[in-house]
Amino acid sequence: MELNSNIPGGPLQQKWDQHRADLKLVNPANKRKYSVIVVGTGLAGASAAATLAELGYNVSAFTYHDSARRAHSIAAQGGINAAKNYQNDGDSVWRLFYDTVKGGDFRAREANVYRLAQVSTSIIDQCVAQGVPFAREYGGYLSNRSFGGAQVSRTFYARGQTGQQLLIGAYQAMMRQVGLGKVKLYNKQEMMDLIVVDGRARGIVSRDMVTGKIESYMADAVILATGGYGNVFYLSTNAKACNVTATYRAHKRGALFANPCYTQIHPTCIPQSGDYQSKLTLMSESLRNDGRIWVPKAKGDTRSPDQIPESERDYYLERKYPSFGNLSPRDIASRAAKEACDDGRGVGPGGLGVYLDFADAIKRLGQEVIADRYGNLFEMYERITGEDPYKVPMRIYPAVHYTMGGLWVDYDLMSNVPGLFVLGEANFSDHGANRLGASALMQGLADGYFVIPYTLGGYFAKGGFSTVSNDAPEARAAVTEAQNKVSTLLSINGKRSPTSFHRELGSLMWDKCGMARNEKGLTEALKRIPELRDEFWKNLTIPGTGTELNQSLELGLRVADFLEFAELMCTDALHRNESCGGHFREEYQTEDGEAKRNDDEFCYAAAWEYTGVGSKPTLHKEPLVFENVHLATRSYK
Amino acid sequence: MRAFGEVWRSNIFQKWVMAITGLLLFLFLIGHLSGNLLIFLGPEHMNEYGHSLRTMVHGAAIWLVRGGLLLVFVLHVWSAIRLSQRNRSARPERYAKVDSRTSTIASRSMALSGLLMLVYAIYHLAHFTWGTAHAQFYAGQKGWEYTLADGIVVPDVYRMVIASFHEPLITAVYILAMILLGLHLNHAIASAFQTLGVTNKRIVPVIRLVGPLLGIGVAIGFCSVPLSIIAGLVH
Amino acid sequence: MNLRLHIWRQAGPDATGMLKTYDVANVSEHMSFLEMLDVLNEDLISKGEIPVAFDHDCREGICGTCGMVINGRPHGPVAKTTVCQLHMRTFKDGDEIYIEPWRARAFPVMRDLVVDRGSLDRIIQKGGFVSVNTGNAQDGNTIPISKLDADRAMDAAACIGCGACVAACPNASAMLFTAAKVGHLASLPQGQAERSTRALHMVLQMDAEGFGACTNHLECEAACPKGISVEFIAQMNRDYLASAIGGRD
Repeated sequence: MELNSNIPGGPLQQKWDQHRADLKLVNPANKRKYSVIVVGTGLAGASAAATLAELGYNVSAFTYHDSARRAHSIAAQGGINAAKNYQNDGDSVWRLFYDTVKGGDFRAREANVYRLAQVSTSIIDQCVAQGVPFAREYGGYLSNRSFGGAQVSRTFYARGQTGQQLLIGAYQAMMRQVGLGKVKLYNKQEMMDLIVVDGRARGIVSRDMVTGKIESYMADAVILATGGYGNVFYLSTNAKACNVTATYRAHKRGALFANPCYTQIHPTCIPQSGDYQSKLTLMSESLRNDGRIWVPKAKGDTRSPDQIPESERDYYLERKYPSFGNLSPRDIASRAAKEACDDGRGVGPGGLGVYLDFADAIKRLGQEVIADRYGNLFEMYERITGEDPYKVPMRIYPAVHYTMGGLWVDYDLMSNVPGLFVLGEANFSDHGANRLGASALMQGLADGYFVIPYTLGGYFAKGGFSTVSNDAPEARAAVTEAQNKVSTLLSINGKRSPTSFHRELGSLMWDKCGMARNEKGLTEALKRIPELRDEFWKNLTIPGTGTELNQSLELGLRVADFLEFAELMCTDALHRNESCGGHFREEYQTEDGEAKRNDDEFCYAAAWEYTGVGSKPTLHKEPLVFENVHLATRSYK
Repeated sequence: MRAFGEVWRSNIFQKWVMAITGLLLFLFLIGHLSGNLLIFLGPEHMNEYGHSLRTMVHGAAIWLVRGGLLLVFVLHVWSAIRLSQRNRSARPERYAKVDSRTSTIASRSMALSGLLMLVYAIYHLAHFTWGTAHAQFYAGQKGWEYTLADGIVVPDVYRMVIASFHEPLITAVYILAMILLGLHLNHAIASAFQTLGVTNKRIVPVIRLVGPLLGIGVAIGFCSVPLSIIAGLVH
Repeated sequence: MNLRLHIWRQAGPDATGMLKTYDVANVSEHMSFLEMLDVLNEDLISKGEIPVAFDHDCREGICGTCGMVINGRPHGPVAKTTVCQLHMRTFKDGDEIYIEPWRARAFPVMRDLVVDRGSLDRIIQKGGFVSVNTGNAQDGNTIPISKLDADRAMDAAACIGCGACVAACPNASAMLFTAAKVGHLASLPQGQAERSTRALHMVLQMDAEGFGACTNHLECEAACPKGISVEFIAQMNRDYLASAIGGRD
């Protein structure tokens, strides 16, 4: 298979303009003759559904939530980047592009990233026009903050709820089209399969989660905007329902899955408090500006922190990285915490936590200043843990919160299956091996508002669509397959719940394919996953039937896919013999613990082709060519 | 363009009707109370006041006011019935357990207190206006005439009030009704301004404080008459 | 701690439901309320019983998916907290806890504690937006917006659409939800063009869905996990009447 990324020629700055000029158009009167299915109604999905409907296409939008406003985009707190340069501090499209490529550890496509930076400014304009209440200065102009160590202030925000406000903006735009009859919205529907007819994506199989009815829905193109796969770890900062099913099903139908091993770990999350833990909560990294991170020097020290004298504490970040100390980069801070805990020096229940201590800062600055800076975070921490961080040091631990990998797409955001487009976190395109803070929202909306409306039109304009009905043999076969899957799951009648398998898989993945990986661990995981999968299909129990609202069945269906996907992830992680961004292989690091890339051998996107359950996927390489930036070692010194 | 009916039937419009008529009724009560309190100035003032009400604009004013009051009253009750019906049907299945945070007995019993007051109002009219309920105390009966200072002979309303409230049952029912009125107004006044859309951050707290006090004040004002009579302060 | 739960069980939209009693043992005070229910459910599954269905997703208090009435209060006893952020340390050993779904005609129960809140989406559909197509927008800084207005808009826009206001209202009214959206957009210059028709259309849809009327108990404000003020209801009352009297639609 030849991977064609379809990157337009010409200088980087003109690629998108030239491409838009070259794309064929669909006559306004003809647009209503084309239909498109959008799966997922987060930032990318809702913005795409709204915009495509505004253009005149017939859109069907699917979400497994009870309302389109609940997608996990809503949980993003910090903000959204845009190269507006309102602060007159030297920002530009080029700088945002450069920062993103560098932040992604030179594993993203230049052309895609440049386009993302270009359209970022229009996103802000569009959202303001929709009534998104961005923070303003007293003069009435938009306010910016700096984020993630960027040297410019380019992040727009709406209190600590930027994701929520942007999502609601997109949701409202979509609901307007629902009211106008241009979008047909299917709530509580979970995609179970992709229907490919004559080599083109022409529909989906979806399950009504209230009645259990499984049906096919046909269209001229299918857009997946179904988010990331962080929940393969069971515990992550993702919402509980986030899953890989839609993209993995498309993968099984021929779409290539790219770079699944790129997962991002956030260092400051609230640690697990017990084995009942259901998810993890992220806290702003800004806490590290004033907090000091430490663990006891002795293993298994269970004294309360105030009983541990200064001389018996190990401020390991300050010790190991004297110049950066507690402000060491995310990945380094995360791995150092893991090392301390693996060494038996972790604190709190289960020993999976390190202290983030504000005692010195409070002594130096006074409690008032600290409350002013971090008051709401301290409150949130206290609500969850019951501990007052003004008195007792916080406990933190790293957690998975974003996945850079996803379905492979070309410059038009179309996968290798013609007619299957993939947007937002679900695709692999813009963040390389690591995503910068406040860039996830930007990418979701860029894809939905400003990229897909053009590229989908270009695809439709090429024509050649045969009429395909729900009676097509491919559609009927896919429906039957989905029905069989449900009845198989329900008839196992074993002993273990879907959650118990998910938990076990998650902890395995976290150990072997989490923030630090090595050949031995990955090999073990690749041996263990198929065993666990076998047990799943023999020993699963799901009470209830398939013709009612059955949340255990929903979980079972998702866990089944995670159990296959996890193998793909480990395979990718094992093959990539280098460390880059969110993929850290212990064998490949510099002396001071930094990721050591291997540009000679791995400067490519790894796109995997499905070859069967348990069978090794086929690797396709898309070489990454850097014509405009120079490959350099990320340095934080 | 929407038909008038559609807008008119909406909950918010009905609430506006409720609030405006409620405030008008409240104004009426203030007027009524002012008249009642004349009792403390003695029979001359009270009977003179009664006479002037009946003769203002050649006797037309009282009928205009009565007509207006009736309309306002009917609208108030009608919107109350419509809204209560809808509110009831909006929650067909009740909670097994409810733990209120801000609602009060007053706010939750508006329909009940209103209904009981409606019953009382009819009785009250039958008593003091029509003279059918307690004919023996009716001011219009023979022998209960009062001669004003300017020589005009009028029914002795003062005597009617004093005599009536010497009857313990009448007084008890009256005071009970006034407690209901106080309860009703306790929620009603502030609620009306919220419905009418007052959002000013300086004014709203004042309304929320003064509204309930005003309601209780009016009830106390009305009760002051029978209580003073029983206490023998007015005779 | 050990707890006795009385949970509403209902097999489907048309089935009759009832409170069923469950004893849960060894509940950790660090668990969230939903994790406590997770543990109960795992236990039910191991016994071959049907687990309790309840809605939840982000478990961070922002998606608005979760919601149940706990001991007579939506989202439980702690103010400005969604049920996913409620922790068991709020309760004590031996407590009896009543757990019921949101109750309203406009929120039919789908199963156990899961209700259908599609009525709220349909209210938004009638006007809870600015009609601006992608690409229409001018530069974001062209119209200065007073910080006070932007902040006020954000106060209203903080609504997570959970429906606790409806659940708490003795009349099952959706006024706070609707007013939050009307108030959010009415606070901004971008929302002015459609301001009067928006209020009219959304209010009429709210009525059509079968929500009750506001009788100003203020329970909604107290139950709202985001603390949205009833001031927005007052404002919507005004906007609605202006539109109804203005009669342009």
